[in-house]
Amino acid sequence: MREHPSPAPHPKNPTVDLGQGSLAKPLLEARGLTKKFPGVTALRDVAFDLRPGEIHALCGENGAGKSTLIKLLAGIHPHGSYEGELRVDDRAVAFHSVRDAEGAGLAVITQEFALIEELSVAENIFLGRAPRCGPGGLRVDWLEMHRLAAVLLADFGLALAPETPVRELGIGQKQLVEIVRAIDKKSRVLVLDEPTAALTGQEVAVLLEHLRRLRTQGTACIYISHKLDEVFALADRITVLRDGASITTLATRDTTIPAVIKHMVGREITDLFPRRASSAGDATPPSRRPEPPILSVRSLTAASGKNAPPFLRDLSFDLHAGEVLGFGGLMGAGRTELLLHLFGAWGHRVSGEVTLSGQPFPSPTPRDAIARGLALVTEDRKRYGLILPQPIGFNLSLSSLARFTRADGFLDAPAEYLANQHFFSSLRIKAPDQHARVAGLSGGNQQKVVLGKALMTGPTVVLLDEPTRGIDVGAKLEVYELINRLTAEGQAVILVSSELPELMGLSDRILMLAAGRIGGEFTRAEFSQEKLLAAAMGRRAAAAANDQGPRTNAQ
Amino acid sequence: MTSRPAPQLLALPLALLAIAVFFAVKEPAFLGPRNLTQLIVEFSIVGTLALGMFMILLTGQIDLSVGSGVGLVGGIAAVLVFQQGWPAPLAMLAAFAAALVLWLLMGTLIVKQRIPSFIITLGGLLIFKGLFWLVIQNSTIPVSRGDQDNLYSLLTTYYLPTNLGLGLAALVALALAGLTSFARSARTAHGLPVPPAARVIAQWLVTTAAVVGLVVVFNHFRGVPLSLLVLSATAGTVYFLTQHTPFGRYLYAIGGNEEAAVLSGIAVQRVLIGAYVLMGVTVALTGFMTTAYSGSSTTTVGDLMELDAIAACVIGGTALKGGRGTVWGVIFGALIMTALLNGMTLLAVSPEAKFIARGLVLTLAVWMDVKLGR
Repeated sequence: MREHPSPAPHPKNPTVDLGQGSLAKPLLEARGLTKKFPGVTALRDVAFDLRPGEIHALCGENGAGKSTLIKLLAGIHPHGSYEGELRVDDRAVAFHSVRDAEGAGLAVITQEFALIEELSVAENIFLGRAPRCGPGGLRVDWLEMHRLAAVLLADFGLALAPETPVRELGIGQKQLVEIVRAIDKKSRVLVLDEPTAALTGQEVAVLLEHLRRLRTQGTACIYISHKLDEVFALADRITVLRDGASITTLATRDTTIPAVIKHMVGREITDLFPRRASSAGDATPPSRRPEPPILSVRSLTAASGKNAPPFLRDLSFDLHAGEVLGFGGLMGAGRTELLLHLFGAWGHRVSGEVTLSGQPFPSPTPRDAIARGLALVTEDRKRYGLILPQPIGFNLSLSSLARFTRADGFLDAPAEYLANQHFFSSLRIKAPDQHARVAGLSGGNQQKVVLGKALMTGPTVVLLDEPTRGIDVGAKLEVYELINRLTAEGQAVILVSSELPELMGLSDRILMLAAGRIGGEFTRAEFSQEKLLAAAMGRRAAAAANDQGPRTNAQ
Repeated sequence: MTSRPAPQLLALPLALLAIAVFFAVKEPAFLGPRNLTQLIVEFSIVGTLALGMFMILLTGQIDLSVGSGVGLVGGIAAVLVFQQGWPAPLAMLAAFAAALVLWLLMGTLIVKQRIPSFIITLGGLLIFKGLFWLVIQNSTIPVSRGDQDNLYSLLTTYYLPTNLGLGLAALVALALAGLTSFARSARTAHGLPVPPAARVIAQWLVTTAAVVGLVVVFNHFRGVPLSLLVLSATAGTVYFLTQHTPFGRYLYAIGGNEEAAVLSGIAVQRVLIGAYVLMGVTVALTGFMTTAYSGSSTTTVGDLMELDAIAACVIGGTALKGGRGTVWGVIFGALIMTALLNGMTLLAVSPEAKFIARGLVLTLAVWMDVKLGR
């Protein structure tokens, strides 16, 4: 466990008086919640309470029931579709719709934003309740709306013009706009579902700061995150869910990250990032071995269109068999674009050469890329990775159907079934069988399906884009072990991750991207969060942060 | 691909039964051999077109031009036979080729130029209609010269001799048994789970009884209509294409999530163009059958058939958004649609009321699709 903050309670935590809080009546309370779906019990006898002005984290592996619990609180699963009782201000409530829950002061902010892209920030904040003027209040008072929005944004320290269209905002800013809207609606309880999954370190810090400030103003918050260091930096109490049951509720100051993980998985995890056997025992890292590289990129410049500015600029690197090459960088540095471009799914090549297994690899289509031994696991599995309404087996074999096609053009169903079954069981996908629909799986299991689909094509180079985003600790470990197994078998992996500890724990070598260029290259011995971050922010920042300086490329 | 819960699966046969009972009570001749034979011919025409539409809808696309296309293709063949004196098979081949070219063109435009299929095929609807009227010069062109039968006119007027019909029924039953046991032993050989033997045998018995029963009813009139064989062949082909080939998988995958399909290495453009070309094939078959059924090519042939085909698919559970649907559903949807139209004609319902009823059925079907899609 490399870079975890001290497990002791965060010193900067503004301490809410828990003693007094515990005397106060809970603002929101759930008693004996049980929610059943056909074939699955998502929640069983869950108890949960939220005190006024506290930040209460919900932790648990994917499929533990966090999302279901939130959907009950938000009125998405209406009253009557579950057993048990919800109480607000010590009175039983029955939420029949999201509107009911909002009426009681609950605002749920999920990863899928409820913002309208084409409308301005102000219009989104005042959606459905714009200030009116004129006879009969028929006319929207745009001036007043923009004035109010500007005040709200300023209060929040957001340097945004109210007229800015939401589509121009980054993910972090959108998140904050959603929070501003919720706050202005006088919400007493903010529910945040994985709010930092797509944020950069800087944006996370801003968000956490705002949440702390809201707490001092009396807004309570239910916070769901897989990132335990955030949880420990923020939450007053932590409730752990496992397999649909509430296991325990702990005061953050009385517990540690390992203890919470132990509750989450029901077993102890000693090493979060298992060091890869190949590089730990081996004196020569794969990149120093004499064999020629499997993938070689020289002076690659690529743009999304003929006249668009390039998103990759003069990129050169080698990838060797058995190596994990990590790519880090800030949002928009070009990491995802690089993988998509190599895979033939994004942009067009302005200049430069790519060589795969010694053969030139000109701008391909994804189909060619797969045929040449590349496999891509995309960052957004629901959008780019899965055919959600179809079964697990359908998805697993989708990229490999040519292999199961007989000479007469028909599919060899038994052979396909057996191959699917192999990946279904070796990846330990949790589902009744391979005929279960992918849409019903938890995030971690969906990710395993995407991985299985990529691996079934028999790749020599595996491109992994945020392979552990939004999946639970147990599934993360399985992904890490899988990466180790792949490289041990001689396949090469390009790994993109926003989480530096993960990137450092898994990679043999890390290239940091900054604005489409290589901002620095680091071998395992040189890894440190500070150096990597400095390289991500560009050469000048790197030089300032570290007089020794990482080996920046001179281009 | 997608299995639906039993109540929904039973809904279609039950709806069909209700419609049949309603019309039979109002007019007993509805279930007579003569009307049933007619109904099945009409069903073959709508069903064939719906099967082509099914593959288009699976990918999340649509084709509004097929009604006009049906008229045009039938018209080309009729003009070649009646005015140019071509032999019927040759004329049909030429019209068939024209359909392939037109749909290849439309598919390519939609896919390569990224113009929404709704617009392209709406344009096609108008253009084909204009071409159609141009080809037949706004007149009525019979499908054969004099009263001589040819392949074209026989499409909907030929009936299998009674013994051949029965023999065919037996053959179907045998083939079904053979295929089932073959698939079963293949699964067992690979150690895969198989359904209980009793259920398989019961299913086979029910199917065989239905097939033989139908043939007996047909034989009370003139025999098994040739057009039903055209539909059966089309249905069988579409079934195997969609359920047992990579092409079919890709149709479902593209409709389920086109972006993921591209990244999974599927040649999405080629598959989509392929679906449109296959649509062209069914348009040609339907064009010949429906023109032959009305005896001649006139300006109204094919009118609104695109809507009947879409309705048949959607009634049968094909999602307009793509990615969901079965061949069996489409067959039932087409049967329901045809039974309604045929029954209303039999009861001499006024054309005004028929239009409204057709619209209501289409609306109801799409409404149910939206409800189910959630």
